[in-house]
Amino acid sequence: MDKIKIAVIGGGPGGYAAAFLAADLGMDVTLIDKEKNPGGVCLYRGCIPSKALLHVAKLINEAKEASDWGIEFGKPKINLERLRAWKNEVVSKMTGGLGILSKQRKINFIQGTASFINSFTLKIGLISGETNELKFDKIIIAIGSVISTIPSLNIDSRRLLNSTSALDLPEIPKSLLVVGGGYIGLELGSVYNALGTKVSVVEMTPGLLPGADRDLVTYLSKRIEKSFDKVMLNSKVVSMKDSADVITIKIQAKDGTISESNYDYVLMSIGRRPETKGLGLENTKVKINQKGWVEVNKQLQTDDPVIYAIGDIAGEPMLAHKASHEGRTAVEHIAGHKVAFEPLAIPAVVFTDPEIAWAGLTETRAKEKNINYVSAKFPWAASGRATTLGRGDGVTKLLIEPETERILGIGICGPGAGELIAEGVLAIEMGTNASDLKLTIHPHPTLSETIMEAAEVFFGQSTHVYRPKR
Amino acid sequence: MAKEFKLPELGENITEADVLTVLIKSGDTIEKDQTVIEIETDKATIEVPSTIDGVIKEVLVKAGKKINVGAVLFTVESTPSTENSPKTSISVPNVSKESKQGGSSISPAITVPSKGSAKVLSQEGSPSELHIVDFKLPELGENIESADVLTVLVKIGEMITKDQGVIEIETDKATIEVPSTVEGKVVEINIKPGDKAKVGSVILKVESLISNVKKESVLSKLPDETPLPFKPVGGSSAGEKKMEPGEIDDQPPILKHSAPAAPSVRRIARELGVDISKVPGSGPVGRISMDDVKTYVKKLNENREAFPPGGLGISREPLPDFTRFGSIERKPMSKIRTITAEHLSYAWNSIPHVSQFDKADITDFEKFRKSYGAKIEKAGGKLTVTSILLKVIAFGLKKFPQFNSSIDIAKKEIIYKNYFNIGVAVDTDHGLIVPVIKNVDMKNLTEISVELNSLAEKARTRKISLDEMQGGCFTITNLGGIGGTYFTPIVNAPEVAILGVSRGTYEPFYSDGIFKPRNMLPLSLSYDHRIIDGADGARFLKWVCETLQDPFKLFVD
Repeated sequence: MDKIKIAVIGGGPGGYAAAFLAADLGMDVTLIDKEKNPGGVCLYRGCIPSKALLHVAKLINEAKEASDWGIEFGKPKINLERLRAWKNEVVSKMTGGLGILSKQRKINFIQGTASFINSFTLKIGLISGETNELKFDKIIIAIGSVISTIPSLNIDSRRLLNSTSALDLPEIPKSLLVVGGGYIGLELGSVYNALGTKVSVVEMTPGLLPGADRDLVTYLSKRIEKSFDKVMLNSKVVSMKDSADVITIKIQAKDGTISESNYDYVLMSIGRRPETKGLGLENTKVKINQKGWVEVNKQLQTDDPVIYAIGDIAGEPMLAHKASHEGRTAVEHIAGHKVAFEPLAIPAVVFTDPEIAWAGLTETRAKEKNINYVSAKFPWAASGRATTLGRGDGVTKLLIEPETERILGIGICGPGAGELIAEGVLAIEMGTNASDLKLTIHPHPTLSETIMEAAEVFFGQSTHVYRPKR
Repeated sequence: MAKEFKLPELGENITEADVLTVLIKSGDTIEKDQTVIEIETDKATIEVPSTIDGVIKEVLVKAGKKINVGAVLFTVESTPSTENSPKTSISVPNVSKESKQGGSSISPAITVPSKGSAKVLSQEGSPSELHIVDFKLPELGENIESADVLTVLVKIGEMITKDQGVIEIETDKATIEVPSTVEGKVVEINIKPGDKAKVGSVILKVESLISNVKKESVLSKLPDETPLPFKPVGGSSAGEKKMEPGEIDDQPPILKHSAPAAPSVRRIARELGVDISKVPGSGPVGRISMDDVKTYVKKLNENREAFPPGGLGISREPLPDFTRFGSIERKPMSKIRTITAEHLSYAWNSIPHVSQFDKADITDFEKFRKSYGAKIEKAGGKLTVTSILLKVIAFGLKKFPQFNSSIDIAKKEIIYKNYFNIGVAVDTDHGLIVPVIKNVDMKNLTEISVELNSLAEKARTRKISLDEMQGGCFTITNLGGIGGTYFTPIVNAPEVAILGVSRGTYEPFYSDGIFKPRNMLPLSLSYDHRIIDGADGARFLKWVCETLQDPFKLFVD
């Protein structure tokens, strides 16, 4: 049989994971992306550069906090040009690496754009301006998402940043208003805050990180309220004006009062949305739902059986690791395996300080859906390791099904939560119960013990938490 | 006046349930049979339909709480017409003392206390008061709305007891003796033999002290497959169904219903075509191991192989010593060969076969096939004689339902199927395999051709799952690729017929005084003579031939 000819449109973490696996399974693979190398938003303008900068922010904050422990470093001198260069080095190292991996797998990587002429045929626009048509057996759409904007607030000003331009660190502003209290705004706001900017946040809903469990967010809220200039909840921006040296903003509070203030810069971070315009989907049988996402089945197959869609364009949650897993599932299905995208948990991590991470059932959802659960919490104030870090402001929480003791969900707040969450995801995927976690020896002194002890809390037997008998 | 709705009986030994979702609030107007709450018992998630209608006054349950059978769920301001009528029969099985709090307008006849107490409570009047109670035709099963009354087993004036059979009815599916759920003296009979009785219509009126409308007792007499009058929500929870891509929720729904099995185990199950939620788990929390899946598959296979080897009571003849005649070689039979041998012996021995032959003029049909072939090929299928026959047979099974049946000799019943799944025998390097195309009637020729192609390919590469070989109603076996004229295929039990297809050849056909060359396709139909009469067999095959000659016939009759 001839090799399956497959095209992947979009070289982000979903697209390149799909393309690489397809090559490993012996398919003839074409990967199309606008950038020079695979990587997508995640590597060029998202997860990776922001994490590099957050690492710096953490270092600055810890150095500052060290004065409490008798160590003074003095005020940090920030060489913005060098910092930017280092961030760019991180990005080019990673994307360059992906370029090599792609070549080693003999993938036909095309820098350009692609649109559908029909279900099997793509019109490829090369960076040189040339176009050509290529036919494939299967095509995977992995084009990701775009930054959402509010048209009325979309003014033409260099002082209005989005998540992409904010990563370019144009300067260290004196003041910055972050519009949107979601993870992108809080992460980038934290970076600028650590570099010395007075950061304020405005959020429409009553709390930061809407959707996350409130008991996890509290610790972050407390810390942000202290380090940020202002946190405005239940509020929205009603107008924005570039007044030469500053941006003038009008904010409406819940009670209707409108206040005006000036900021050096404004960061719009209200989320991301799907965009399929220009992709030529009208020439295929692919269906798009009301919200703009491409409809797929559990095999990531669209209504057009030769076309698959993965990652952000296939719906929430818009997370790199979800995209990669979907990409691999789609390719396995194309290779004739019986597979389905059916995880029990998809970890979500917010890389603020403290970090917040969760997976599986959240309390918010459990209440919404009337799911019976017991929450077992271990406060980090009782953890030896957290105390040595000077960070008792955290919690590890397990959501447990009372009859079977099965672990349904996990939520962690504290430094390193993003690393710790993986154990919880594995526990959920394996159908683990609270006893399994309780009886698994965790190394001392580490933060991972908090997961074991949370399981002990469920049985009322935590070593480091005393709970009077019920 | 307010009326109460209480949690009805849910099944044997179920005394309580967890409330998952409350779908109503006070002020809502509800109708009978409208789902009011979703509950979860040890056995299933159930949507509970209301048996009363009106405007909800008060909701007394909360999601997340446990409730007992018989507990009041809500009260309604009922519509005046049904209020206070002593004849109103409310299918609330268990009325306990709590009912007082919601007012007393509930049919006074219903006064059965909760389990264990035999005392008759009456909210109004003395225990000895007599009431007229309706007995309605209970739910008979899915999609059954009415039944033909065969016999009425009681007379006016007769004292009947609970569970006593009162009428015998026949539905599309079975004959059933309907037991009474009430006891007392029969005062009115509203039906007679030959009538069509609607589910829910009043059949009898009984003068009674007690009316115990226990759905459970009715159901226990009905055939096994009769479902509870509730819709089980089943494996996929309501939450999962409501999830749409794009809903702001970053977690997959993890609920009690998602099988506790590691990702690797879930994948193996999918590869083997096994529904992981049906595999019994041997670990803690019912965790499903790799071995559990394998054991389950083995059991499924064994069930399929449970045919008496060697046929029905026919003893095996000893084999001669072949080496006396020349050199031989012994090889173990492959798994597929073993199954085929046992299955075909069983079919041959248990089914009295008749084979009927005919030929169809496919000259025009071949033109159609050639002109549309390319289009279907583009979609990834091949428009073959077999794929067209699949479609024709699906119509045929609808027209001749006895060809879409199975026999239950033990129960002396004929099982008619309302689905149209057709198997196609595929010759592979490792033996005969029969993949089944499901719901052929709902698919177009392109879909059928594509699916047939992919299933045949899977069969050849041994990637086919059990599921893809089960559930057939009829089988087609096409030897046309090889040649020959007619043959006598063996019916693939428990199906009742099989169509053998040979190669079409040009033959002189005499019409209008001249011989014309016509492409004639030989067809061989074998059928189970226990259920299909010779005339029906001939009619069926003639119909198939005529339809192939002139497909417009399908639109005429």
